[in-house]
Amino acid sequence: MANILVCDDDREIVDAIEIYLLQEGYKIYKAYDGEQAIRILKEQQIHLLIIDVMMPKLDGIHATLKIREYSSIPIIILSAKSEDNDKILGLNIGADDYVTKPFNPLELVARVKSNLRRYTTLGNLNADNNALFRVGGLCIDDDTKEVTVDGETVRLTPIEYNILLLLVKNCGRVFSISQIYESIWNEEAIGADNTVAVHIRHIREKIEINPKEPRYLKVVWGVGYKIEKQ
Amino acid sequence: MGKEETNRPGTEELEERTAERGAAADGEVMAADAAGPSGEKRKKRAGKKAGGAGRKFLGLAQHIALAVMVIAVCVVAGASGFRVDAFQNTYTLGYSLYDQSKNYEDTGLFTGMFGWVFSDVVRHGVMSGQMETDGRFDGSKVIDVTAYNYRQTELPAQYVTAEYRLEDLLKWQSYGFETRTETMTPEQAAAFLSDRTRLTIASSDGTDGSAEVVVTASDSRADDGLHQTDVSGNVLGNQLWVYTDGGGTYAESTDDGEATYTDEDEDYLERNNLLVNRYLTVDGGKLEDYVSDWDLYYDLCNQVKTAANGLAYNYKEYLEFNNFYQADNTNMRYLIVQETDEGRQIFTNLTAQDDGNPAFACAEELMKTGTLADEAAVHSRYVYYDPADMVYETNTGIDEETVRGIVQGYDYAYPETTKFWIGVDTAYPVGDQFRQGFLGFCNYGVYLWQGVAAALIAGVLYLLLWFYLTCTAGRTTDEEGNRCVGLQPFDRAVPTEGALVLACGAVCIGLGVFVLLTDLLGIDPTSPWEIADMTEPARTWSVGLMAVYVFLADWIAMSFFYSLVRRIKARTLWKNSYARRLAGRASRFGWKVYDNSDIVLRTWLPYAAFVLFNIALLLIAFVHDSGSFLCWFALFVLMAVDLFVGIVLFRNAKEQQEIVEGIETIAGGALEHQVDTDRLHGNNLTLANSVNSIGKGIKEAVETSMKDERMKADLITNVSHDIKTPLTSIINYVDLIKREEVDNERIRGYIKVLDEKSQRLKQLTDDLVEASKISSGNINLHFEKIDLTELMNQTLGEFSEKFEQKRLTAVMNVNVKKAVIEADSRRIWRVIENLFNNIFKYALEGTRVYLTIDNAPAQDGHIELSVKNISAMALNCNPDELTERFIRGDESRTTEGSGLGLSIAKNLTEAQGGTFEIRLDGDLFKVVMTFPAAKD
Repeated sequence: MANILVCDDDREIVDAIEIYLLQEGYKIYKAYDGEQAIRILKEQQIHLLIIDVMMPKLDGIHATLKIREYSSIPIIILSAKSEDNDKILGLNIGADDYVTKPFNPLELVARVKSNLRRYTTLGNLNADNNALFRVGGLCIDDDTKEVTVDGETVRLTPIEYNILLLLVKNCGRVFSISQIYESIWNEEAIGADNTVAVHIRHIREKIEINPKEPRYLKVVWGVGYKIEKQ
Repeated sequence: MGKEETNRPGTEELEERTAERGAAADGEVMAADAAGPSGEKRKKRAGKKAGGAGRKFLGLAQHIALAVMVIAVCVVAGASGFRVDAFQNTYTLGYSLYDQSKNYEDTGLFTGMFGWVFSDVVRHGVMSGQMETDGRFDGSKVIDVTAYNYRQTELPAQYVTAEYRLEDLLKWQSYGFETRTETMTPEQAAAFLSDRTRLTIASSDGTDGSAEVVVTASDSRADDGLHQTDVSGNVLGNQLWVYTDGGGTYAESTDDGEATYTDEDEDYLERNNLLVNRYLTVDGGKLEDYVSDWDLYYDLCNQVKTAANGLAYNYKEYLEFNNFYQADNTNMRYLIVQETDEGRQIFTNLTAQDDGNPAFACAEELMKTGTLADEAAVHSRYVYYDPADMVYETNTGIDEETVRGIVQGYDYAYPETTKFWIGVDTAYPVGDQFRQGFLGFCNYGVYLWQGVAAALIAGVLYLLLWFYLTCTAGRTTDEEGNRCVGLQPFDRAVPTEGALVLACGAVCIGLGVFVLLTDLLGIDPTSPWEIADMTEPARTWSVGLMAVYVFLADWIAMSFFYSLVRRIKARTLWKNSYARRLAGRASRFGWKVYDNSDIVLRTWLPYAAFVLFNIALLLIAFVHDSGSFLCWFALFVLMAVDLFVGIVLFRNAKEQQEIVEGIETIAGGALEHQVDTDRLHGNNLTLANSVNSIGKGIKEAVETSMKDERMKADLITNVSHDIKTPLTSIINYVDLIKREEVDNERIRGYIKVLDEKSQRLKQLTDDLVEASKISSGNINLHFEKIDLTELMNQTLGEFSEKFEQKRLTAVMNVNVKKAVIEADSRRIWRVIENLFNNIFKYALEGTRVYLTIDNAPAQDGHIELSVKNISAMALNCNPDELTERFIRGDESRTTEGSGLGLSIAKNLTEAQGGTFEIRLDGDLFKVVMTFPAAKD
């Protein structure tokens, strides 16, 4: 199994994360500041790093920057800073994911899994297949009608599948509720309805780790829905 | 108050000093710049220098142009006439600008001169006739005095006369006529005179002396005509006319003569003035031998005197002429040939040398043949006039009419057989008038039009240069290459008045030099044309000196002028003047006194002074005669002062207006606004300063409050970070305990509480941060077009399960075609989410939730969204309190929410330009929001 380095100056948090990840069968290395993390990274074969931002000696941001000079392993930043700007900064300097404290342990585990999968299985799929649509870790095979997220199969109803396919095919384009309705149900959308919105929520709940902060299927409030280009 | 005002001048100075320091700093920066790679700069500076040099050169050209113009004008003025030494006088002969002749001999100048000379010669011929015999002066010539006197008019039919020798008459005249007075008895008187009068009878053909009649004394009186022979002019004094017939005695006196009566019956004495016979007549007689009557005696005496006088005058002129027109002194030759009964008379100044001169050799021949050899025409200009044969020949511009006119004036002297020839040698070997004219013409006349053209061109050039230099004076570029006005050291160092005084001094010195110069050169500066009167080389010298003078004068004058122009352009004319410094000091002093005085003094004193002044001036005006200078002057001063007071009042009102506007601006919310106090005085200044400090105070207070709010937000953010870390552990370990399959029911209950509270704590910290950020205005908004209907559908989709869970039914009414608003997509979702969460938490189960989208009734261009639901609990509070932080509808309920939801919603809505209002009606909970509609 993968080796995961957890780095946080709060030992209890590190221990708690260790418990959750051990349960999933990962091997855990622990560090309590940035320098220590870098040292361990050099000594050990690490597949994923979970790192806090505010730490003594070397903070998470600078540590990430240094690590990115020689390594491309997935890095998940775990921080109490929940502002948009903090997230944007973290992701821009090379982190793959950003989880704010206090976090849901299950979500963290899911993100770890997701990142590892993407890191290890990237590029395995046949790119020649015309019926294959891929956005980041989301993959739709229109021949087999199979949807996978980071390699894990997701089960969708036909309508959900069709909506997702429409959005993935037109990745980046925003569809309003009426537009989705008309192209899926093939009939004119008379009056406003929240049917589509409900379906979208369901899809989100199935393909997103945290539906409130969706990674693929984004809600453009007051305009419509879209699949974010990755 | 007083403190502030006394400070004011100081502040001004301080400002000035600051400005200077700023300028100095700029200079340093520039210097620093220049120290860098400054090739370009150097080039620019070089260009600037070149520009200055170019302007200097143009300035020089301007002065030169003026000098050239003066020279040209002098040339024109000089060419318009020439000073020539003519006979008996010195004349300036005019030369017309329009005389296009290329040849001097064809000019009106030459023709005029020739005409004069011709006239001189003709006159001289007359005199020569009087004085000469066979071309030589003949003193023994016999002169019939009366006939001589009457030579130009017709002689009386009969007259008395005597004949003298010419030399005798001339000598007599030069020695003077002597008279003696003798007292005689009538007998003696009668004996003194001849016993008969010798009368000459004028012949019908005008020649005199053809008959002689002897009249006795007795009948002499009978002929009245004799008395009319009195020659006008010279009348002998002390004449006494005595009549002896009839026995009665009376005497009649003329002049202030004296009549003497005798007491005797018949005899009385006469006193007679007798002319001393210095010379005898040709016949050897005395004057008294010719007449038998005293009247005729005196008449004869007068005739003698007049003739002698006239002859002497002519003789003098004759001599002068002979000298002046001597062959050695003139280029002119004349030849007058008279054929008379006595033979041929010739008057000429031709000499033996002239035989070899081609110009004159032909003269004799001309007289014979009447035609001229062609070669003569080449070398001379001549006039040949032969009235007898009606021949007139000339190669000059003089026409026959003129010549005839001249000759006719002396027709008594010239019989018809006279022939005239006058010629001028055009080689001008002699320095006479013709040569003078010739030289003048060659030196100036030829250049007349060139002179006019040069004067015009130079004048135009001067004006153009003047215009250009005036326009560009002081133009230069600064270090950045921008155009600006550059002052020269003189403009900076010398204040305006100083420059004016210097300029006035220069003008005075210049005028003095001018007067001195003209005096020295003998020119009348008021009439430049008199330069034509000057002779060479004084003329050339004068012109040269004038040119130099004008050049220098213009240089100096223009230097001052351009300095003035630069000052005006740079706006330092007033700034850099003593007057301004004085005025500034005076006004500062005035304001200081004014500002420091009491309100009563400040208002009533000036007012009283004003009124008194008006009354005084009106009194002056009316006590004096209306229309007098003083009256008008007083009225003028009155008006000026009243106008000034009006302006002051207006300015005061304007200042107040400015302050009022400033207050209004501040009141309108522009707290940073400051009333401009630079031009305010007195109370207005105090007022403005107070307003400014109030505004400043408010602004500072607001800023402090904003700063506090921001600090609070930062504090909350930081605190929340610190809370979150331990909270993370709590949540994680609670979760871990939950997984530990605890059997104890009670412990499971405790864990549930821990779980809920820790989750709520998490929510609370997030909301707290958000709320503080919004209220401190610390958020960035990205506005875009939002379709409210779409948003509502999306929201209902998101909340469908929660609503189902509480059996809430949403009813949406859209009453507008397009419910598109301008808002921040994520922020408006937060508003709606909070609102719906609120409904989800507090709405009565199984009720309907009404959503209505409509145009805002009160606000144009706004869309209204109202959400209504029935509250599960009774709402016993003020609707406003619900949006206050930490206030909830039911204060006892502490299980859910942070109590910040509605507060955040309200603040976020307002931040996006909308309104958020909660209305409570019993259990009906209604939220009305408006958003600005998107502009298409």
